[in-house]
Amino acid sequence: MSDSTMTGTKRTASAIIAVALGIAVVGSLGLTLHKISADPHGKLYATKESGTINVAGKDYPKATIKLGVYADNAQPKDVGVIEAKVNKQDWVHFGPSTHLVLPANTYITMTIRAYDGGERLNTAYFAKVVGTVGGTMNVDGKDVTSIPDDKVEHTFTLHGIPSQGQDSLFVNIPLMKVEEGDNGFLPTQDPGTGMKGHTVTFSFLTKGKGEYVFNCEYPCGDGTYAKFGAAMSTYGYMSGKVTVA
Amino acid sequence: MTTLSSHVSSRPIPNPKNSLITKLNAGTGLIVGVVFAVATYNLLKGENEDPGIAYNIHNRALLAAMFMWSIGFLVGIGAFIGPWRWLIGKDLTAEEQLYLAGDGQGIKRYFKYCTDHKVVGIQYLWGVITLLGVGGAMAMMIRTNLAAPGGHFITASVYNSLVGLHGITMIIAMIIVATGPFGNYIMPIMIGAADMAFPRLNALSWWVLFTAIPVLCSAWFLGGIPTGWTAYAPLSIQAGPGMNAFIATIIIFAVSTAVAGSNITATVIAMRAKGMTWNRVPIFVIGATISVALAVPAFPTFMVSMIMTALDRTYMTGFFDANIGGSGWLYAHLFWIMGHPEVYVILIPGVAVLMEIVPVFVRMPLFSYIGAVVGFAGIAGLSILVWAHHMYMSGWMPMLNGPFMVTTEMISIPTGLIFLVMLGTLWHGKPWLKLPMLGVYAFLWNMLVGGITGIYLSDVPADNYLHGSMYVTAHFHYTLMGAALTGAVAGLAYWFPKMTGRMLNERAGYVSFWLIQIGFQVLYLGMFTAGAEGQPRRVVNYASQFATANRISTVGAYLVGTGFVVLLWAVVHSWRHGKIAPMNPWGAKSLEWTVPYPVPLVNFDTPPVVTSDPYGYGKAVK
Amino acid sequence: MSEHNVDLKPTPGDRFTTFLKRKDIRETLAWAAFYTAGFVVLGGVFYTKWMPTSLSTDMKSIERLMVIFTWISAPVCGLVLSIATYTFRHGTRGDVPPEDGPPIRTNFLGVASFGAMAGILTLTAVVYGLIEMNSASEAAAKDAPSALIVEVTGSQWVWSFNYPAQGVSSNELMLPKGQPVIFKIHSVDVNHSFWPVQLGIKADANHFQTTSVTTTPNKLGRLDVKCAELCGLYHAYMETEGAVVEPADFNNWVTQNGGHSA
Repeated sequence: MSDSTMTGTKRTASAIIAVALGIAVVGSLGLTLHKISADPHGKLYATKESGTINVAGKDYPKATIKLGVYADNAQPKDVGVIEAKVNKQDWVHFGPSTHLVLPANTYITMTIRAYDGGERLNTAYFAKVVGTVGGTMNVDGKDVTSIPDDKVEHTFTLHGIPSQGQDSLFVNIPLMKVEEGDNGFLPTQDPGTGMKGHTVTFSFLTKGKGEYVFNCEYPCGDGTYAKFGAAMSTYGYMSGKVTVA
Repeated sequence: MTTLSSHVSSRPIPNPKNSLITKLNAGTGLIVGVVFAVATYNLLKGENEDPGIAYNIHNRALLAAMFMWSIGFLVGIGAFIGPWRWLIGKDLTAEEQLYLAGDGQGIKRYFKYCTDHKVVGIQYLWGVITLLGVGGAMAMMIRTNLAAPGGHFITASVYNSLVGLHGITMIIAMIIVATGPFGNYIMPIMIGAADMAFPRLNALSWWVLFTAIPVLCSAWFLGGIPTGWTAYAPLSIQAGPGMNAFIATIIIFAVSTAVAGSNITATVIAMRAKGMTWNRVPIFVIGATISVALAVPAFPTFMVSMIMTALDRTYMTGFFDANIGGSGWLYAHLFWIMGHPEVYVILIPGVAVLMEIVPVFVRMPLFSYIGAVVGFAGIAGLSILVWAHHMYMSGWMPMLNGPFMVTTEMISIPTGLIFLVMLGTLWHGKPWLKLPMLGVYAFLWNMLVGGITGIYLSDVPADNYLHGSMYVTAHFHYTLMGAALTGAVAGLAYWFPKMTGRMLNERAGYVSFWLIQIGFQVLYLGMFTAGAEGQPRRVVNYASQFATANRISTVGAYLVGTGFVVLLWAVVHSWRHGKIAPMNPWGAKSLEWTVPYPVPLVNFDTPPVVTSDPYGYGKAVK
Repeated sequence: MSEHNVDLKPTPGDRFTTFLKRKDIRETLAWAAFYTAGFVVLGGVFYTKWMPTSLSTDMKSIERLMVIFTWISAPVCGLVLSIATYTFRHGTRGDVPPEDGPPIRTNFLGVASFGAMAGILTLTAVVYGLIEMNSASEAAAKDAPSALIVEVTGSQWVWSFNYPAQGVSSNELMLPKGQPVIFKIHSVDVNHSFWPVQLGIKADANHFQTTSVTTTPNKLGRLDVKCAELCGLYHAYMETEGAVVEPADFNNWVTQNGGHSA
């Protein structure tokens, strides 16, 4: 008994083609989503330094990495930083990239230049320096362990999924806000606002390989609920990822 | 059983040349819709210094544009011509009415505002297939990303959008999966009616639903949604412009559901054939009616919750924003007062399809018809009293957790009746193991697993651990997909001959059945394990301890995906090349098998008279 | 055969024996035993194997409840699956529909006993759940005065913990063994759900209301604290670790972090 008006071979062939077509459609959808998931600014690698440093009786190789926080898309240029790709939205953002690649088991020294104003944090806890070597950070030449929670412009909060597979890593750095007419220590000045930024330097130790994320805990997604939408909730602005490789 | 002689239509094809209705179709709808949307957006968009107000204005413009697209489309396809003509006192002529029914217009009528319930049924069928295809492709993406820990395949925001849009696409598809195609095409014939009670509303329900599909898809191009399909406030108030697409979709869909629900209910109440007393109504019709009658009161709360979310986003009304006096619990209540009845709106028609199938293939009467009706009604009745079991951990009135646990677990009793009806019909029988019947067996296993894991989840102490974990995801996929979707696919195999005039390709049907069902067990048993181990739901990345369970799940998902592609091939192939079906290939006794294919415009030449229920199988008693 | 013998009604006992001797009943019962045993074993193995190490009595009782519920439902699975398997094995294949079966429309005894069984099993589950729930809240009330208070704050994508009596705050959850603990949970933005996995408790973090939940860690070990409510972009990464430690170690930790032992 024939199931259809088509011959057997033709029928089987058309079924196989249909399955292949299905795989192709779903596959190309996957590739598209994978592509739009790519890092908008490429990866930012830490620079390895020569020599080692001894922390708590163990020698670590050294590496440095520099980031900035900019209030909008014009600011990087104003302060003399060239970004590879201009963001789609004119929002506050970390730059030059939000995908940082750090070497494993290394003493990382990170410098963040911050040029934004600010107010009070949603959660006071994030005004505290957490997870750095010595529990401090250096703001414009001064070592501090925390800053007042109403003087914060942004935070760099690095965290991940602690599990058997990767070491846990937690770093929280509150970035001091720039006051109007503030005499910062930076040689560069934002001609738009007349503000000088702050330079924050801190060091932390990476452990084994792993995937982490960072985001800002200062509510800077203006106009949205709890100010945590927009730049805060969109990958590539105030949030990013950190690969320890 | 009555038989009809072959039917030849001698009716002249209506052609009211000068009437506007002959000029309109989905194409004109599309044009007017897009014009309305673009004009509205440009009229309302604006800038503001204050980012909060700018955000409100942007949301207003987008939402209004989406609603105007829907309205514009309906204007363009001619949905309002009938009411307008009635309003100005020049009602549609008989010829125009007949033209609207699409008689003799071939394939074109599927792209028109067609009032024939059979055309609407086919439109719904392809709508469902499209939605399931889109939702299924998104599921494949989710599983691909979860195949290994790390979340390397897609980024968090894309993943969150996938989870939410997969959810809502599938929920919409599943709500209409049985009542849409079968409720519109088959049900009126089953009860011996010439058409639905309100044919124009029937067309309206489909085309309103249709306009929701592009709106839903636009969410992707507006930055996606971060909230999942539950759209909890205040996350939804924080969300970007994509959220507007979600809100508009739900509101448009709720209108469609209300229209379809009242129409189906009215049809079953008022249009049954002579002699079809309530105890002679086929069980599918009972199930579908209970389901839509449950949706009619349930859906407005979802609509209201979305209107309130929209107002919070456009005018800062603060219904759900605690900073200005609102409460997130209010949203959770409105949502789940819809949300829990809604899962039974999905489940009941799927089960009812299978109950319709069992007697035919076992060749025995439906065991305890009353039990089936009481089971459906009991589930529907209890389902409106259980919503807060989704909120055990929310902190809202912990002292009411006990009562809600009791009502939730009581649902096991009517659900038990459903099993009893199925098992009772099977017992003593030698089932004819055709494709529709295999669905019954898949249902028994899947619903058993889904039901029992549901008892754990309804238990407050156990839910302390399981709530919000992958265990929940696996549980509701067992009930909604394993039971309800299996029922709908069995229904497609069962009614395919009546809807297309051809038999569904059996071999491809079996291949897809086993691929889907085996893949399904692999997929969700892996997910149950991940949930028991403690993996939360809706995570783009997870701890490496869950890696094995997730990898197994992904393999299962690919099997299911392949199975559905094979099924889609079988449907398309059989529609065009399948074996011509006899009028009653399964030897069933319900009325839809007494009409030929193509089913005449008014279904029956002579209105049928019913003298018994359609389950009069059985050897003569000695 | 003499006529008056035929007219004699068989006793219920006789009918039951004949019933059990039927071939279909025997095969079905065998399947039922097989499936019931299968689910009993599955219930005993699955949850104890896969659920994480329990660090509190709450978690232990959840694990026990999962096992017992599976055992209660095992006979139901046995009944459903045995009938399904029996009829499937004896089904008809091919293109010719089978002959009609007996015209049985209902069976009072069957429906009544099935309904009673469903009712009793549901009642058992309800009563067991209520007792379990009640004992958990009674323990919570009893433990309140001596409890350690931990304020849990959910902020979008990071948990933080404050110990007011000790004057310490941290991103990791440290708990002393044996001391009851009251978590006071709130959110500064959207809804989160506080889930210290190994403790078997969970409570939503709402912006508008503080929720509290109590437990007593009774074993040393590692804790995973997760978020169980979708909260936006980095919901998956809203996770931190912690530990249940000896009271002395807890006090050391407090002092090291600049607090004072209460």
